[in-house]
Amino acid sequence: MKKPGVRISVLLLLLFLTLTACAYPASEYASAPRENTRSGITEAPFSIADMAPYSGEPYIVVNDNIPYFSEEDFTDQSYEFYSPLDELGRCGAAHASVGLDLMPEEERGNIGHVKPTGWQTVKYDLVDGKYLYNRCHLIGYQLSGENANEQNLITGTRYLNVEGMLPFENMIADYVKETGNHVLYRVTPIFQGDDLVASGVLMEAQSVEDKGGDILFCVYAYNVQPGISIDYATGESALAETAKDTSASGETSYILNTNTKKFHLPDCSSVQELQADNREYFTGSREEVIAQGYAACKRCNP
Amino acid sequence: MILMICVDDKNGMLFHNRRQSRDRALIGHILHLTGAGTLWVNPFSQSLFPETGDTRLLVDEDYLLKARPGDYCFVEDRDVSGFTDRIEKIILFKWNKVYPADTFLTLDLSLWKLTKSEDFPGYSHEKITKEIYVK
Repeated sequence: MKKPGVRISVLLLLLFLTLTACAYPASEYASAPRENTRSGITEAPFSIADMAPYSGEPYIVVNDNIPYFSEEDFTDQSYEFYSPLDELGRCGAAHASVGLDLMPEEERGNIGHVKPTGWQTVKYDLVDGKYLYNRCHLIGYQLSGENANEQNLITGTRYLNVEGMLPFENMIADYVKETGNHVLYRVTPIFQGDDLVASGVLMEAQSVEDKGGDILFCVYAYNVQPGISIDYATGESALAETAKDTSASGETSYILNTNTKKFHLPDCSSVQELQADNREYFTGSREEVIAQGYAACKRCNP
Repeated sequence: MILMICVDDKNGMLFHNRRQSRDRALIGHILHLTGAGTLWVNPFSQSLFPETGDTRLLVDEDYLLKARPGDYCFVEDRDVSGFTDRIEKIILFKWNKVYPADTFLTLDLSLWKLTKSEDFPGYSHEKITKEIYVK
């Protein structure tokens, strides 16, 4: 539960933003000149075309980890702002000055009734938790307490949610809790053309009181799921061809840790901490890898 | 020297030259462990220890070279793999979360013997795991 003062501040800010934005058509709202508000409703000068395609890491550094904020964006007061949905019903940038008074004191409630653009309820065995898509908060609930706000929820893969976004939210949350300081944080979903599912999200953050001393990042997180191909125009998905080939033949691709003698699925989070010297690739049956003396990872349960 | 290092679930330590996390309860725990002994840090970590109680806090960029046997060294941003001959014990604190990381613990802990593991609550962390390794 947020404190009343924060709610009032947010309402006043939203009223201010509404009044200052009304001169712009909805489709141009996100491109309104920055002088209309110091809270940064202009989009970051970012192009998906400049991003390398996904190559196994959940996020990549953008602009040398320097956010595209302006001086006037910074404030030591907490606030949160969510862009209006566009004509296709898609979310725009969400940003906040995250402070202790913005953070929730209650567990997150149900958000199942929100259907972000491109939403599909679909399950795959190779996905952690089975469900391919999560309702991904742009500003994480642990930071803002904003629960079922349709302007803050996009269709995101489990991989984006857990491997791409959550680590950065954790970093901000811990810092704010420990210092009482603020973090300016902006998350921008990146849609290509009229796609209903974002290709990824741009996440920017900078700690305010220490001028980025402890928190400073600018990254792009991929809205992908290893082993699954996604039609971003509609949200429809299918098992990737490589995964189909191995499952049809009874063979699966595993990553071996030659040090611990554990074997993992390729998208297991443990694989990323594997040192290159201890990593080997194996394609075959589960029985074959166990016969070689390997035990199944308890995290990905291959 | 006795190393004290914090890592996340992927053995991460830093991202963009910044610590992944911090916890005031952990700092209290570290000072309790060091007691009246010597705790070495470098300037990067100094601000985490504004008050040190009985502990003798020494701040130096070359602290891993200057620490003597039995001294504690809190390490956040250094590669300690070149100091294995001088390390008597490693106290590893696990955040039990995942954070962004581009700098990782490079010690191969499989070469060390885990002698103790216990959990304690942090201030901003539900559970911090302390593991003690010796040669």
